Amino acid sequence: MAKDFLPIGSIPDFLDALATFGEVHGPLLTDDGVQVFGRIASPADLRLDYRRTLLPPKKYLLPPRETVLTYAPDSGYRPPPLPDRDIILLALHPCDLAGIAYLDMAFTSTEPDPWYRARRRRLTLIGLSCEPDEFCFCAEVGAATPGNFDLFLERTPAGFHIRTGSRRGEKILARLARLLGESEPALSSPQRCNIESAILVAVRRGETFPYSPLWDEFASRCLSCGACSLCCPTCYCFDVREYGLLDGESAERIREWDNCLFMAHGETAGGFNFRKNRRERFLYRYRHKYLGFGPTRGTLSCVGCGRCREVCPVRIDLLELFKEER
Amino acid sequence: MSTNHDMTAIPLPATVIELRKLSDDTTLFRLRLDDAIAARRLKVIPGQFVQLSVPAGGEVPISLAALPGEDGALELCVRRVGHVTALLHTLAPGAGVAIRGPYGNGFPVTDWRGKNVLLLAGGLGIAPLRSLLHFLLRHRSDFGEITLMYGAREPAAILFKEELSELSGRRDMHLFLTVDFVSEEPPGGLVCHTGLLPGLLSGVNFTTENTVAALCGPPALYRCVVEELQGFGFPADSIFLSLERRMKCGVGLCCHCAIGELFCCTDGPVFRYADLRGVEGAL
Ligand SMILES: Cc1cc2nc3c(=O)[nH]c(=O)nc-3n(C[C@H](O)[C@H](O)[C@H](O)COP(=O)(O)OP(=O)(O)OC[C@H]3O[C@@H](n4cnc5c(N)ncnc54)[C@H](O)[C@@H]3O)c2cc1C
Ligand code: SF4
Ligand code: SF4
Repeated sequence: MAKDFLPIGSIPDFLDALATFGEVHGPLLTDDGVQVFGRIASPADLRLDYRRTLLPPKKYLLPPRETVLTYAPDSGYRPPPLPDRDIILLALHPCDLAGIAYLDMAFTSTEPDPWYRARRRRLTLIGLSCEPDEFCFCAEVGAATPGNFDLFLERTPAGFHIRTGSRRGEKILARLARLLGESEPALSSPQRCNIESAILVAVRRGETFPYSPLWDEFASRCLSCGACSLCCPTCYCFDVREYGLLDGESAERIREWDNCLFMAHGETAGGFNFRKNRRERFLYRYRHKYLGFGPTRGTLSCVGCGRCREVCPVRIDLLELFKEER
Repeated sequence: MSTNHDMTAIPLPATVIELRKLSDDTTLFRLRLDDAIAARRLKVIPGQFVQLSVPAGGEVPISLAALPGEDGALELCVRRVGHVTALLHTLAPGAGVAIRGPYGNGFPVTDWRGKNVLLLAGGLGIAPLRSLLHFLLRHRSDFGEITLMYGAREPAAILFKEELSELSGRRDMHLFLTVDFVSEEPPGGLVCHTGLLPGLLSGVNFTTENTVAALCGPPALYRCVVEELQGFGFPADSIFLSLERRMKCGVGLCCHCAIGELFCCTDGPVFRYADLRGVEGAL
């Protein structure tokens, strides 16, 4: 029988072994009570029973704000040194792994983004099986089967079955060998739902619900706070700005998270706005999430993590659109 | 020379070599890429744009207002409207800027061989259409009748006045100008109608048979001109619109410029009306 079982008591040793590959990050609880992905300084920090973090793991690949270019008169625009930190990101649920798979596609397929790629190369992904709650719905968007991991931990009462998903994963697993025991009896394989969900049916049709009264209903309540997009593992719109530095000659160009629910997202010079009302901005978000833009056209990018449904202060839930359809 | 991929991420240094003031708020900037090899390799399809960086200001999408000249110079016709464009307008010859691109699809000129081309420009929309006109005239025998209709707010806002008077003397193309209203200033010797561009369309004769229309102008212009064109019998796949949207990256990543499910930067900026019909918010 394969030795692929990590007993729960070996987690501290497991973390020590991982630390030889890079800085270990995973779910933890901050002092003010928020679940976040952060640096795991000691085994006691790690919260393997977490439900979902407030911010998704996209922050490891697309920092909320980063310098992408610096300018100096003699050398022109130059990229700053690219990140050189290896990070092991631990305990990602299948939805968050799927979220990263989508970002990988958006940022490395057609026009590879050097900053994203540099970070991605240094990021190791270790998945963890999870229990759904009332907010999440990964099975309905086809994101329940784990993928895009280096290692994946399937939880059992006594510990974790580990499987590999990449060369890097195999290398790490080899180093863990002494911690692993014989498999427990076979797990029940994850349940598969054979009925195509209402979401997948609508998406395949390219549905935009043009006559739904929900658009106006959402628009009338939305606060344009942007929380739903901020917390989404696959929302990646960014703004770019440039600032002159104090010497009066050099400058720095930064990019930072933008938000399609904000008024300025569609605004051009002179105050013309291509999406001035909330209805238009909702439709824009819907189209991006469910139908895809440009090279990602035809790709559903909601991974069903449930964050937007949980955080929206006025309980707006795009899933209502699909319910109405049935 | 940097690789293609670098060109996508990192703007190449360029120098302002000449300025030509075209109106109160609009100037033609002639630039040259500092890297001569990169300049020679630059291939431009009329209607494409570049991302122009003004150091310490930022980056803006600007149409190439001409095909690269013999000397490799690029021409950008820029209106002063905000942060970056205002800073650009303070520059003098010799100043350093930077460029990446060209981006976007441009006009499908190879498909247009043997056809008549009707160019419709409103205001600053003349910028991308100028590069198209240059292309058509450079390959004059490949095309049928060429007609440019250009509308500006007032006589003082007509851009490229000298060029227009030259063009008006050509026998191998037709030129029609209109201004929304006539102020004190005379239109500088140019024959000029009064009224909006759609009005001009219905007032003059042109062939609709085997003709494609290329349109660029302020947002409000598209819907009425397209209606007018369809009234004349233009099929939806013979009407080409160069559209503008807020844009940050130019390469389909920042997600500000979608029109329906198409990106203005990578699927456009030139769209066939047939592909925009029924798309909420497109026009
Ligand atoms: C494909 C394309 C071609 C264009 N060609 C020309 C041209 O030939 N000549 C010309 O004068 N202008 C052109 N524009 C418009 C030009 O890009 C804007 O006027 C310019 O971005 C305004 O920047 P600003 O910093 O001066 O204004 P601000 O209002 O201070 O803008 C701040 C930022 O908002 C974004 N933004 C604002 N307005 C626009 C806009 N209209 N389009 C896209 N992004 C905008 C830019 O990222 C800009 O950096 C074009 C736009 C597009 C999309
Ligand atoms: S749209 Fe909502 S549920 Fe879907 S991935 Fe984004 S945050 Fe999660
Ligand atoms: S979280 Fe809710 S209120 Fe805030 S922008 Fe999103 S839909 Fe609107």
